[in-house]
Amino acid sequence: MAYDRKQGQHQVAQSSRPDYRLEVGRAEVPLGSPRDFVVLDPARAATLKAWTSTLIPAAGRRPDAGSVGAAEYIDATVHLVPSIRPVLIHAIDEVERLARTTTRRGFSECSAEEREAILRQFLSGGDRDAFSMVSDFTYEAYYGHPKVLAAIEAKSGWRGNATMTGSPIAPFDTSQLERVRELPPRYRIFEGGPEVKR
Amino acid sequence: MSREPDADVLVIGSGAAGAAICSRLAGRGARVRCLEQGEWVDRARLPKSHPDWEVRGRRYWAANPNVRRWPADYPVSSEGQDPIDVYMYNAVGGSQIGFAGNYWRMAPSDFKVRSLDGVGADWPFDYEELAPYYAINEAEVGVAGLAGDPCGPPREPLPNPPAPIGRPGQLLVNAYEKLGWYWWPTEQAITTRPYRGRPACDNRGWCTFGCPQGSLSTADLTYWPGALKNGVDLRTQARVREIVIGEDGRALGARYYDQDGVVRDARAAVTVVACGGLGTPLLLLMSTSPSHPDGLANSSGLVGKNLMVHVQSFATGLFEEPVDGWNGTWGGTVSTRQFYETDPARDYLRGFIMSGCRGWSPLNLALQIAPWGSGHHRAFDERINHEISLYLCGEDLPEESNRVELDWDHLDGFGMPGVVTHHELNDNSRRLGRDMIGHAHQVLEAAGARSVRDFGLAPIWGWHLLGTARMGDDPRTSVADRFNRAHDVPNLFIADGSSMPTSAGVNPSATIQALALRCADQIWESRRDYDRGRSSQIR
Repeated sequence: MAYDRKQGQHQVAQSSRPDYRLEVGRAEVPLGSPRDFVVLDPARAATLKAWTSTLIPAAGRRPDAGSVGAAEYIDATVHLVPSIRPVLIHAIDEVERLARTTTRRGFSECSAEEREAILRQFLSGGDRDAFSMVSDFTYEAYYGHPKVLAAIEAKSGWRGNATMTGSPIAPFDTSQLERVRELPPRYRIFEGGPEVKR
Repeated sequence: MSREPDADVLVIGSGAAGAAICSRLAGRGARVRCLEQGEWVDRARLPKSHPDWEVRGRRYWAANPNVRRWPADYPVSSEGQDPIDVYMYNAVGGSQIGFAGNYWRMAPSDFKVRSLDGVGADWPFDYEELAPYYAINEAEVGVAGLAGDPCGPPREPLPNPPAPIGRPGQLLVNAYEKLGWYWWPTEQAITTRPYRGRPACDNRGWCTFGCPQGSLSTADLTYWPGALKNGVDLRTQARVREIVIGEDGRALGARYYDQDGVVRDARAAVTVVACGGLGTPLLLLMSTSPSHPDGLANSSGLVGKNLMVHVQSFATGLFEEPVDGWNGTWGGTVSTRQFYETDPARDYLRGFIMSGCRGWSPLNLALQIAPWGSGHHRAFDERINHEISLYLCGEDLPEESNRVELDWDHLDGFGMPGVVTHHELNDNSRRLGRDMIGHAHQVLEAAGARSVRDFGLAPIWGWHLLGTARMGDDPRTSVADRFNRAHDVPNLFIADGSSMPTSAGVNPSATIQALALRCADQIWESRRDYDRGRSSQIR
């Protein structure tokens, strides 16, 4: 939608420039129901799951992204859009390679701090598009999940289901306009135009 | 090639303008056919029918057609120093199906920009000529609001009361009162009480993600039911390839691909193009012939030129206390036209509105400001339900260099060209934009915000695509005349946002639909002129 632009970094999605967003618009992956991996093998699935949990870790009642199925959501998306599979698989393999190079362990076996450092190293290596893709999909999976929305409501009062149920609000109190109603008209007159009167 | 039975009027495009024209003419007894390249929206698939509505809004419902890629969408590229992030829909109801409902009348001075301020262009008529059609349209649509705003001429009461403003609106009211500025409840194309068979809005918010309740006044719900009842022959999945011109220089109708990809001809005494600010020039520029080698109705060379999109931004204030930012219609709070008219004390001409919205929803907010990693929740928690936003919209003056062209490098599903837009904000727009954003900070700070962030001026928020086939009295400097009739083709009308000579500084839907009704009446009143020499006659 129009309101989801990253502040200060927004790139227009347009037909003349390659962009993963141009590929996934018709890939509908409903959130909130469990699903298994269908594209990724177990090793890569584990790496991706740890990746998503590093992007959005747990906090209080809020789960981490991996535990609400963000990796499975990404897998389901690439299942529907085969053209982006190579980018994802290459990125997962690169993250795994960096983990083994720097820690001699698999990415999913690293600590949260180590994983974050590895992802920053990956990001500095150049494949920002792949990182953005995984990141955006993870945010989608997380903030569309009923468990997360319920936890947000409990903490902040933001009613995530109001778009489904509606909510009463007191009608507008027109007496608040008392001052403004008394202000002089504020539109310009031109010859042959409307009179300035109320 | 198959040819349809002739109609009196052929309307191409079923959006805000096309729907109004079809309804008005059919109501008077004309035989009307409408060709729409999209389909009816499946209301069960509206994002807000589902808990994961925000995600659906980034895919199936994405406002950018390059992302959404519905079968009816065509490719759009955006070039220029300030590229446009184009938002539009190709479906029954047009781009209104994804609009927020902000519904403004233009001001009298908006029709005389050149005469008053020496820039842009004058409209070929004045506010008072359009005012009756604003009123008719407001009744059809069921607009919510209050008459009496001192920033506009006197007018009749509106059909429905204003939307509840909630806590975000109240904070803005307090700010405007503190500053001593003009403000008024924002008019909305939303039924705030049951109206003509549609239910009252129940404040689900986020109107652009579809309104399952049916209270948002989109053209598929307002004009189309009556139009169909009055016999309009609406053909969906009908992709028009060209306007066909006869030997006498008059429009015969349109050649289009039907839902099976079969080319067909649809003929009528009068043809109306209502495909929007990009679609209309696309179709006219595709309609070349020996007598119109540069595109139809393009003797002025202005088809596709003078693209206007408004100087737009958002400013968002952060408040200590929760603001109930989830509660209520997205745009249904209060607005100010304090800075709408040209003021010699400022360093730019023309002006802007500031329109109160509510808070950003979780996914939108997270994508905007929450970094990944250990700092994610801290950034998110600071802002969720503690922010309110102002939508900022200022006048974008017409410039010939801001334009729409055919893009033969990117084709649609029928092998027809996409479009490429070129856009750059001029110096006046930049100065206006900076002042607009500065005043938005001032309002939010007066409302009690402890900090304010804004989105700057680029990329352009491309909701309003205007001016690419503009009206005027002079065929050398305009494409259509004062009644939306093409200067070059006597029975061809261009009636949508592309016909607007200037953009004003407000959301354009109300003006587009009022213009469409006026155009329909003109077609009806002069129907005898279109009968001569035609097998089809308007009764």
